[in-house]
Amino acid sequence: MRIGLVCPYAWDVPGGVQFHVRDLAEYFLRAGHEVSVLAPADDDTALPGYLTSCGRPVPVRYNGSVARVTFGPATTARVNRWLEAGRFDVLHLHEPLNPSVSLMALWASTEPVVATFHSAMVRSRALHAAHPLLRPSLEKIRGRIAVSEDARGTVQRHLGGEAFIIPNGVYVDDFRGASVRAQWAGTPQAPVLAFLGRVDEPRKGLEVLLRAMPAVLDVHPGARLLVAGPGDATDLLRAADPRATAAVQMLGRVSDVDKADLLRSADAYVAPHLGGESFGIVLVEAMAAGAPVVASDLPAFAAVLDRGSSGILFETGSQPALSQALLVLLSDPARRDALRAAGLARAAVFDWSVVADRIMAVYETVIAGADGEPEEPAAHSLWGRLVRGVPGGGG
Amino acid sequence: MVDVLQLATFLVILVIGVAWYLSYSAARLDRLHAKVEGAMSALDAALVRRAEAALELANSGALDPASALLVAAAATESIERTTEQPVTGDLLEGQHFGGREQVESDLSEALRAALPGEVVAGLRIRHGDLVVDSLDRIAAAGLRVQLARRFHNDATREVRRVRAKRSVRLFRLWGYAELPAPVSFDDELPPALAS
Repeated sequence: MRIGLVCPYAWDVPGGVQFHVRDLAEYFLRAGHEVSVLAPADDDTALPGYLTSCGRPVPVRYNGSVARVTFGPATTARVNRWLEAGRFDVLHLHEPLNPSVSLMALWASTEPVVATFHSAMVRSRALHAAHPLLRPSLEKIRGRIAVSEDARGTVQRHLGGEAFIIPNGVYVDDFRGASVRAQWAGTPQAPVLAFLGRVDEPRKGLEVLLRAMPAVLDVHPGARLLVAGPGDATDLLRAADPRATAAVQMLGRVSDVDKADLLRSADAYVAPHLGGESFGIVLVEAMAAGAPVVASDLPAFAAVLDRGSSGILFETGSQPALSQALLVLLSDPARRDALRAAGLARAAVFDWSVVADRIMAVYETVIAGADGEPEEPAAHSLWGRLVRGVPGGGG
Repeated sequence: MVDVLQLATFLVILVIGVAWYLSYSAARLDRLHAKVEGAMSALDAALVRRAEAALELANSGALDPASALLVAAAATESIERTTEQPVTGDLLEGQHFGGREQVESDLSEALRAALPGEVVAGLRIRHGDLVVDSLDRIAAAGLRVQLARRFHNDATREVRRVRAKRSVRLFRLWGYAELPAPVSFDDELPPALAS
């Protein structure tokens, strides 16, 4: 099968959607399919062979966070060239409701289209205003996937109708093979907490965790907080309690192997996110690596943690609740072991072997639908082209 | 004089504009009807495969006779209804599900009754590739039934929304195409085959 995947966000910036597209592409390549990915990327960075750049990404503020995306006439030309060269059996777009290359590919496509909705958009004025313009393009989507209940809510609110839930995937075995590293391993005197994610993005919640640290340090004076992720936390650390700041060790951006080892070594992985998370793949990774998970009780996180049976949930944004949850966990090694085991079992549900099979079923169903359509008379006349928007028009 | 000319030009542009919009809407509606049609044929194909795999399992001798009879009866019913009421290639006639909802619900129910978790686990351990293969095919086809039904209903909703627009209603832009209806039946798989 020839599969075209479109990722709206800059390829070289780590993010849930990017990783999802990368892993999915590599899974299908290994399964013997032809896969090509279109994504914004700097042309001078080293790109995998299956990736085509649609231009240099520019930062844009949309839906409450900064996304690095591309658009404009140069991108349009690249999208069209990529579609023409690929002759895809199926086109799989990610986040087509954002102003990005996914929407442009949808606009230009004539292939059967599958769309995956990742984010939880409560409401978007921009989308509402642009709706009549987008509708005809959105009608090209034959199969809708949502990665979570929240993302499905986005589809229901903004498009109407349904979406089939297929969660994000994780290569569980990559994390299962992680090993404990001495410099990151906790001891009874100096337990280790791990935080992953952009440190300067408020909704990742590092600030809540920093506020929760003093209460933890009262009981465990040697406790350490290892923070892995890009961004500048200088202001955050300066504003925090000096004891909390002293307990923090900034690791910066880490490799995938380091991330897995960090999760394996830590006594707890803490996900204090404040919102805007639709799925929470990092929770699955933490479980697959064998880390006990402490997470805010966002609906998405509660779903990944199976309503709290494979991790500890605390009230989102609440410093006392987080301190309390951490103290309980750090003083109870048996509970940590039980959570590690429960997490490993839970993570298997999200393994790519399961997830990609379901996505392939969507492709096959959508292609069967396109093949089952009655023949449409070709629109070669000028009028026909204006009306039908062939080839590649928005109609 | 000038005024008349201006008015005439304006009218011509208006008429062309309206004509373009109507043709465009008709073409869009046409495409949406075709999409419903295609989705229906995908659903039909998935249902046939599910019934065939179920019948194969029933005839394999791996199930107890009562379960086998239950599944075989439901699967046969489904296959017969499919061949009786083929989804045609004709846009005007193909958008019916032909009242098959009850038959397909019955097959889903029969499969759930015949294949509880412990039975599936037992079949996978004790029986050969043929049985395991038909179990896998029931699961795969069952998932595709769920997908195809939802995709069909999404497409149906889009047609109905466009057809509810005032300009579309006024000019009956759908021609003779019937109003497609969503298909709803019980398509839940036995839990042991659901993932």
